[in-house]
Amino acid sequence: MSDLLVTLGQAGYPEAMPSVTLDHYLVLSALMFGLGLIGFVTRRNLIIMFLCTELMFQAAGLALIAFGRYHLNFDGQTFVIFVLTIAAAEAAMALALVVLLFRRRESLDASAWTELKG
Amino acid sequence: METLVGQEAINPLLLYLGCGLGAVGVIVAMPRRGLSLALFGLLIGALGVGLLALGLGIHAGGDGLPNPAFYVFGAIALASALRMITHPRPVYAALYFILTVIASSGLYLLLSAEFMAFALIIIYAGAILITYLFVIMLATQTPTEEEGDNLSDYDATAREPAIASAFGFVLVAVLTNMLTLGTPGLPAAVATGDDALIQLPERLQDGFAEAGLLSDGERLVIGETGRVVTNESGAVAVIAEGSERRYIERAEWPADLSPSNVERVGLNLLRDHPMTIEIAGVILLMAMLGATVLARKQVDLEEEAKAHQAKKLAETFEKGTPA
Repeated sequence: MSDLLVTLGQAGYPEAMPSVTLDHYLVLSALMFGLGLIGFVTRRNLIIMFLCTELMFQAAGLALIAFGRYHLNFDGQTFVIFVLTIAAAEAAMALALVVLLFRRRESLDASAWTELKG
Repeated sequence: METLVGQEAINPLLLYLGCGLGAVGVIVAMPRRGLSLALFGLLIGALGVGLLALGLGIHAGGDGLPNPAFYVFGAIALASALRMITHPRPVYAALYFILTVIASSGLYLLLSAEFMAFALIIIYAGAILITYLFVIMLATQTPTEEEGDNLSDYDATAREPAIASAFGFVLVAVLTNMLTLGTPGLPAAVATGDDALIQLPERLQDGFAEAGLLSDGERLVIGETGRVVTNESGAVAVIAEGSERRYIERAEWPADLSPSNVERVGLNLLRDHPMTIEIAGVILLMAMLGATVLARKQVDLEEEAKAHQAKKLAETFEKGTPA
């Protein structure tokens, strides 16, 4: 395991990451967040819509960890534990709701519930 | 470390071009009835992202570039994320998302967040995605005969892909706009490892013993708060039975003695943010209760079915017991 980390060049005591490298991670995170957002808006299947929110959580987690590495503290990683918790709670609740909605309409189409918009 | 204030990291034109190409790629890759253009869209999107990476790379020069593994993991993460939001079948979308999660955990490893990398795989790929797969299987309609590809209409066509992609990539362009302005470089941060080690007396003791810094019977002096006692210059006190205190200066410490990622995350979590675990526990408990209440359904078995099941159970029981 430590051999692998040495190969990746990141083992042992971390040094501050250059800001140019931070930019790379932030661009990647922004792109992942954008893809998740587009997916949430365009897809009509309820389950895939919730999967897309998980993608947005992933993007946020990546940005948090990259910032934590940049500032050499561990608050970012602590916060990612929270992100994981919220993601797990959201998955449990949202999927229970999806199952409930599917039983009512026999369809996962989000537009089957347009009357909810009031 | 160089300071980048006022220097643009990437040409604005290149940024907007890359975002535009990405948006076109996503629009083309969206699911539609008839011709599937996913691969084509993936190529256009890759071209856009490649432009962005190239622009960043030119600015960074040879030394500032991230690890090559970053590009591999990043490409896998983005490609599978794109395929996830464009794949018409939910099961495949979930599987592609698992690929994204694994690639992200690779990126976490590159950022020396080993603990979070493994936690991510265990929690996401192991628990959350399995729940998703179960729900996809629970909540799927039986395929009808008329539809050849047995895809539901809401899976096979996207809703307003052009407008959504345009707005999505405008958001990405705004979020990454700091690249055209330059970001301030931070001064090299002060090493925090030593302070973490002061709170891990056993770890410090073992490290010193291994490096031969302790003579027979010597041990660290531990204060009332559980920390190692230090003097003003930060040297650690050691004491042996019936002798004077002696201090080990930081310069003498073994170089490879540094707390692991798990130890640091644990210290940060439980010392600096002690309530987080409690709050997370309450949130998860509430979610579990809510999910149970929501998904509960009375299963009414017919009397006949009950009798049948009882008979079957009795048969298996008889078979299972030795004569």
